[in-house]
Amino acid sequence: MSAVVTVSGLRKSFQNEDVIKGLEFDLTKGKCIALLGANGAGKTTTLQMLSGLLRPSAGSIAFDGVQKGEDFRKLIGYLPQHPVFYEWMSGREFLEYTGMLAGLSKKESKERAEELLEMVGISNAKNRRIGKYSGGMKQRLGIAQAIIHRPKLVMLDEPVSALDPFGRREVLELMERMKKETTILFSTHILNDAEEVCDDILFLHKGEIVESGSMKELRDKYQQSKIDLVFRGESDQYIEKLSSLVEIQSISVHENKISFFVHNIDDAKHAFLREITDRNWPLLKFEISKTSLEDVFMKVVEK
Amino acid sequence: MNLWMVLFNKELVEMSRNFKWIWVPIVFILLAVKEPLTLYYMPQIIDALGGLPEGAVIELPVPSASEVLIAILGQFNTLGVLIIVLTSMGIIAAERKSGVAAIILVKPVSYASFVTAKWAAAMLLLWVSYFIGYVASWYYVVILFEAVPFIDFFQSFLLNGIWLSFVLTMTIFFNSFNKSPGVVGFITIAIIILLSVLSSSFSHWLQWSPSLLPTYTNTFLLSNEIPDNVLSAIIVAIIGMIVLLVCSISIFRRKELA
Repeated sequence: MSAVVTVSGLRKSFQNEDVIKGLEFDLTKGKCIALLGANGAGKTTTLQMLSGLLRPSAGSIAFDGVQKGEDFRKLIGYLPQHPVFYEWMSGREFLEYTGMLAGLSKKESKERAEELLEMVGISNAKNRRIGKYSGGMKQRLGIAQAIIHRPKLVMLDEPVSALDPFGRREVLELMERMKKETTILFSTHILNDAEEVCDDILFLHKGEIVESGSMKELRDKYQQSKIDLVFRGESDQYIEKLSSLVEIQSISVHENKISFFVHNIDDAKHAFLREITDRNWPLLKFEISKTSLEDVFMKVVEK
Repeated sequence: MNLWMVLFNKELVEMSRNFKWIWVPIVFILLAVKEPLTLYYMPQIIDALGGLPEGAVIELPVPSASEVLIAILGQFNTLGVLIIVLTSMGIIAAERKSGVAAIILVKPVSYASFVTAKWAAAMLLLWVSYFIGYVASWYYVVILFEAVPFIDFFQSFLLNGIWLSFVLTMTIFFNSFNKSPGVVGFITIAIIILLSVLSSSFSHWLQWSPSLLPTYTNTFLLSNEIPDNVLSAIIVAIIGMIVLLVCSISIFRRKELA
């Protein structure tokens, strides 16, 4: 699979402060990639450099099929974190305008605008002034303008963070549909969103990529099985006895709940249950689960 | 439709949606018409407002048509210039500040087209408003004072208009590296004042200065002769505008937009 864009040694500093400290990654054609990180991790700066709005302090960004010095902008679509439009235009006019700017003919632009207004679900407001649009409608209009010229790479900066649950749902579904046609890179600080639509993840932390890979690889690498136990009375007294039964990775105690992280969940389950019934311990709760990616996220960030 | 026309057309539509096509010409008409009317009716105005002792005889010399035209151009070169700066000080700066430029310039738009389309649209608004205003004043001058040949009127119109265009181009230039429209407006006005003061105090050294064009226009209207240095001032003004535009484009291209 070929890469749409290859980034190497990408750095950016503002007033001598390094915000992005040498990123190396490439985006595979046709994938949906989440750029995940906490606030201030450098997600927006990275996207702005990829879209050409900021100049990297060092490093290179190479788009597939674009020579150095050539205009790469026809290949990309970009939605800023807080999209602003010409308030005096109607949604339809704005889309037609950006379509023509992106190189579509007047006719193509008209057709594509109608199609996208329908697709993002604001066709009933297409003739209304953008100044009167709600936040969710602006976000959709922003997505529509980003994909109007069928770019090879669509970059969305926090497309769902500012939306209510319904809007979020719909935008995620929209992205699901867009995935079939193009490569998507979107930034978010919400792991669930990334999990839902993405194939690959880039974890950004303090200007560095601390982890990357496909969703599955990350799960396999970081996800652990755990058993939560709660007893009546003091639970602490049982820890020593139980942990001698099987191989335990780590134990954490939260109030009265004991969590055992184990390699082999089946062995542990049998051993624990047998021991508990044999000794007739006052068990209140027995739960088998997996660590969520949220925990993975925290773990990666804390490294 | 070619890209430049798309950008240019958008500017024209924006100007009509925010009523610039209505209020800017009206302001120019008011500025222009005010002079011949007040100059002509001055005795009656003073009479009507009173304040003079009984029996006082008001005798004001009737100004010549050229003097009235000079007074009108004086209005254009002060309040008119202010209007030009105010209407164009945010033409690029405001779009960068609001963030809409980030959406537009991520599309494959040439920076040169972006800047020149804005410049051309602002020029069109300026020349149309200035022309309507000046024609309206010419009408009153001819009716109330004396006939001014069209050719004189037109030459003074062009000559003074070059200075106004220079002012507009300066405003666009300061737009290219400033995000705040207020700052753009302030710098432009300050530079205009500085240029005018400098070139009128050192007029024998700075005869080619575009800011002397209004003075030359006045001389032309009074003496009906084209002053010697007009050509050099025009050439400097035109070259200056081209240089300013080219610099605007290259500075703007280098600017980070986010």
